[in-house]
Amino acid sequence: MHFYESSIITTKDGLHCQVYGNQHPDGRILIKPKYIPTDRISSDSLPYRFISGRKMNRLNLWIDQDKLKQYIDDFTKAYPDYVFRSPLYDKSPLFFVVPKEKIERAYSPAEGLYDLMSIPEKDLDVHLKTVVGLVKFLLQSSLELTDLGITYSTLMGHYSPYRSDINIVVYGKDKFWKLMGFMEKNNHPDLRWKTYEEWEAFYKKRNRHIVHKKENYIENMHRKRSEGFFRNTLFVIFAVEKEDEAWFKWGKEKYKRIGIAKFRGIVKDNKSSVVRPGCYIISDSKFIGGDEICKNLQISRVVFYSRDYCMLAYPDEEIEASGVVEEVTQEDGKKYYRVVIGYFGSYLNQRRDNEYIKLVDD
Amino acid sequence: MTYFHEAALVDSVDDIQFKIYSSTHPKGFIIAKPKYVPTDLLDLVGLKKRFLFSKCMYRFNLFNDKEIVEKNLGAIKKKFPYYIYECNKHKNWFLGVPENKVKKFYDTKKGLQELLKVPVEDLDPYLKATRKMIGILGEAGISTGNLGISHSTLLGNYTPGKSDIDILIFGIDNGWKAIKHLEKCKNPSLKWKSREKWARYYKDRVVSKVYTEKEYVANMARKKDDGFIEGNVFSLFCIEDEKESRYDWSAEHEPLGTVKIRAKVKDAYYSVVRPGFYELENSRILEGHKEVPIKRVVTWARPFSLQAKENEDIEACGLLEKVKSEDGEFYQVVIGYFDAYTTDRGEKEYLKALIG
Repeated sequence: MHFYESSIITTKDGLHCQVYGNQHPDGRILIKPKYIPTDRISSDSLPYRFISGRKMNRLNLWIDQDKLKQYIDDFTKAYPDYVFRSPLYDKSPLFFVVPKEKIERAYSPAEGLYDLMSIPEKDLDVHLKTVVGLVKFLLQSSLELTDLGITYSTLMGHYSPYRSDINIVVYGKDKFWKLMGFMEKNNHPDLRWKTYEEWEAFYKKRNRHIVHKKENYIENMHRKRSEGFFRNTLFVIFAVEKEDEAWFKWGKEKYKRIGIAKFRGIVKDNKSSVVRPGCYIISDSKFIGGDEICKNLQISRVVFYSRDYCMLAYPDEEIEASGVVEEVTQEDGKKYYRVVIGYFGSYLNQRRDNEYIKLVDD
Repeated sequence: MTYFHEAALVDSVDDIQFKIYSSTHPKGFIIAKPKYVPTDLLDLVGLKKRFLFSKCMYRFNLFNDKEIVEKNLGAIKKKFPYYIYECNKHKNWFLGVPENKVKKFYDTKKGLQELLKVPVEDLDPYLKATRKMIGILGEAGISTGNLGISHSTLLGNYTPGKSDIDILIFGIDNGWKAIKHLEKCKNPSLKWKSREKWARYYKDRVVSKVYTEKEYVANMARKKDDGFIEGNVFSLFCIEDEKESRYDWSAEHEPLGTVKIRAKVKDAYYSVVRPGFYELENSRILEGHKEVPIKRVVTWARPFSLQAKENEDIEACGLLEKVKSEDGEFYQVVIGYFDAYTTDRGEKEYLKALIG
């Protein structure tokens, strides 16, 4: 069974986990814990939710950093099987995983949507009617129902009508880009895009104000056609790679941490910028600042784990990326260098506010 | 050992979700009704579909035309014969789950304790209303340890403003404490179904074609186990404590046919649980059988809980049984056995207090 990014796994320990990549180490699935039972560890700094009959903490990586660090320390002790350090790295970043034997149930976005679309409209509540309406609109593109899925609260069934987002999954990067083309050219009376004000509100969250010039950030985000409102409900469309589309294969590369630095470069290819982890292939990289050891390196990829950076930049645009610089050794021994933004560990130190990808303003 | 009590949910190994219908069970088999059936398991008819637990599910419903119920039960019986319990003692059959087919039991008491730990500010309006109702029951002197939550309230698949808040009260005395408290409670968050709303409910879930809407409304409007808390429907389910569970599965039941009776209620103490009963006196058989003294009316259908009070006259129609148990031999009338939903008897069954 392949575990696609954005699928949901519930575990035998009661955790609800979001699959966090399309490539996984043997015997484990890379995830982000989304809801964590409070019987072993809990934090008043994280929101509480009552889900599946349990009091859960909802993991939020943007809370007070000391509190987050404490929580992750507690998590590591309480759930050691869910923490992974990969031997592919000389100094492995922090990964969260679900060992396969801990899976209680894996929720498939594709199967969920297929089932949902089979239900007569009269038997659906207002939220699900909106989901179905949006999916019917998306199917007016060249995509088929099997290319789509639904995830998160809609899939799990603990959504709140008028409040919860609709999260649509598109299987395949090519399909996703086709859909984006369709969204740019087509309209629907129930569809509207996020306004500048709504993007501004988003900008104010997640510390984006620290690194981005507001107007430019909003301008860049505003051209995205993966987020909007359908019948006044926020929707977000995610791409997930098909197995044969993966831009890297877990285990086929090794990683050596070189330092922390900031680089600029010209985007050559953004095809894989729509998935998680996502990737921009860049050329003409220039060292802007950071650890001197990175100064003479040529960066060829900018990799990110936060969906906020999806489709931020297009070919021939210049981006600036600040993050962890890694030397990547491929199976054939060839090496290249990359900047990585958004490893979980970066949320636990000052890198949380210093890591970013942005379009170069000037 | 798990106490499989009434109004709790269990998932079977086939991913059918069952709602438990009794707090006492024959050995190895839990009396329960299918609640949600994955549509890829069975081809059922005349049922609403729901999108739950990431799957398309039939919402199994016995309140349907008997031909539809019969067809659906036939489909279950054909593919999953182990969900039907042929009871020699009752000369009847019951729906449910063999204990060895239970995949998951949803703990209603533990669920409430978890809910109570969540800060109120982190709850949505539906769960806040649930907490408020728990508080009102606390005012009645019922500790939270004797309360539980079930169905969508427990599982989290509720729709605020539409889904019922289902609260379980453990202990028959506690159940009555709650009812008595609610009869006089003036909490502004609490509202009761109007007569019009009861009439609509009757239309949606017709319980008996011989029971008029007017009679139904008169009987139901005084009940306090269903109402509104901050705009959400709530339903209270009184559950026998494990030590109180008293249905005797070893008793021999001889079905004698459908009868219509009148009697006076001598004791309504057990009318608050399922299966519940009204102890009778001065009974008269109006139709269906020669005169025999009827000791009690047993109800397996929730709509007939709390239907009549002590010393009230009632009229009922149901299956007459002769029962041989350790307590001796007696006659009883039973309403709401599963087979009633597939036979003409189901359309005739009712229980009403002769009031108004």
